[in-house]
Amino acid sequence: MKHVKSLNKKARLVEKALEEGKVEEVRAMQVVAGCSSTLDPGWEIDPFGGVAGLCQPMEADLYGCSDPCWWPAQVPDTLNTYPDWNKGADSAQRDWRLLQAVFPKK
Amino acid sequence: MKKFLAGAAIALTASVFVLAGSPAEVGAKEFLVTGAKPDKLLVIDAKAREVVKTHTIPNAAPGLLTVTPSPDGKTAYAIVNGWESVSGIDLDSGKEVFRADFSKKGVRSKAMFGMDISPDGKELFVFLSPVKLGLGEYEVQDVHIAVYNTADGVGAQPVRTLPAPRRTALLLSSTDGTKLYAVSWDIVEMDPKTGKVTGTHKIRNWGRENYSEPDVLDVWPQFEQSGIFSTPYYAVRTDLSPDDPAAYKTGLVTLDLKTGAFEAEDFEDTSVVIFSSAINPVRRNEVYMVYTQLTKMDRDKHEVVKRIDLDHTYYCLNVSKDGSEIYLAGTMNDIAVYSTDSLERIGTIQVPGGADLALASIRVVDR
Repeated sequence: MKHVKSLNKKARLVEKALEEGKVEEVRAMQVVAGCSSTLDPGWEIDPFGGVAGLCQPMEADLYGCSDPCWWPAQVPDTLNTYPDWNKGADSAQRDWRLLQAVFPKK
Repeated sequence: MKKFLAGAAIALTASVFVLAGSPAEVGAKEFLVTGAKPDKLLVIDAKAREVVKTHTIPNAAPGLLTVTPSPDGKTAYAIVNGWESVSGIDLDSGKEVFRADFSKKGVRSKAMFGMDISPDGKELFVFLSPVKLGLGEYEVQDVHIAVYNTADGVGAQPVRTLPAPRRTALLLSSTDGTKLYAVSWDIVEMDPKTGKVTGTHKIRNWGRENYSEPDVLDVWPQFEQSGIFSTPYYAVRTDLSPDDPAAYKTGLVTLDLKTGAFEAEDFEDTSVVIFSSAINPVRRNEVYMVYTQLTKMDRDKHEVVKRIDLDHTYYCLNVSKDGSEIYLAGTMNDIAVYSTDSLERIGTIQVPGGADLALASIRVVDR
């Protein structure tokens, strides 16, 4: 944690848990509380540091990874907040133009 | 598209006769069962390469996750509705004959993949991860396995719950139904009646000398043909230089659901990504693995026999009962058929309407 500074109350709680040896009680990674609690880098690189090991084509993997919140940073949270994001676009390869950006509701 | 839909309609009409078999005809024909976005349950005549039934599951979007057929091959249970429900569909009529909705007021429960059925078809096991929704925070609840009586039909409530390890991705019932396995960081064996842990097969905590902890990703149940669960793992040899390709190992975990025999053995230096695997029910030394390549591996010799590049990535696969055909599924809108002998492509089954299969399991039922 030397180079990482917590910004909010919850992050400070995580930091505190680490200091107190209670990190096992921090379970955010394993719980689908919201997509923001999952963190998988997804699309950037494969395990070999390249891109050949990623799903081919990318569209093959789009719904398999976005529907269970695997890639929270890249696509809307269809599991909880934007369940209709890919409604009517049942084939990622054919219908990707129908997929839109989302914005927080006011 | 019109031509394609017309073809599907003919296939649907024909299927009325195909699927309306009596129990006496069990074993007469094999059908693949899988799902397509957003709410379709597909029944496929494997050898005819035809989708013979396309059932619509009520309130199922954005798609189907785990698909679990009943042992008699008459019903398929699918995790649907943003993973907050399980729906049981009669494969002949398409009628929803079972439904359990997990979330309650103030508590959102998701089923992330883990589901299996008892060998007598009476109990359905579903791994649930509940979260209490506060005004400004989420309160994580204990994960557990909810057990449902399949006879309770639509609106079923759990008849009991069993404690389960976090990160459980798959549930596996032993062939005789006396054990339930939860595949998590390790494979935990428990009594399906009480949840009492009766054993552990270590994966993540294997403690193998000169090895890192292995990494396993498996969310596809596809063990029904061989009765042996299998999944690839990845590990790093810590006694070798990080720039030595031999330091990176791919291996296979197997658990025989009949005998309980467990094995985890390397079979190659890691060279491709593999998502899931299935064992040939006839030539039981052969295991097939899939992602952007299709691999045949001899699990007696622990070596790759053959590997081919695929036209696109597939997540999951299954094998015909006679051991001759491999069915690749998941991701996009086709199921590819390959010969187990040659790994040559021998067929393609297109999904009606072209919808993606995404994460749905590919299961085989005998009718």
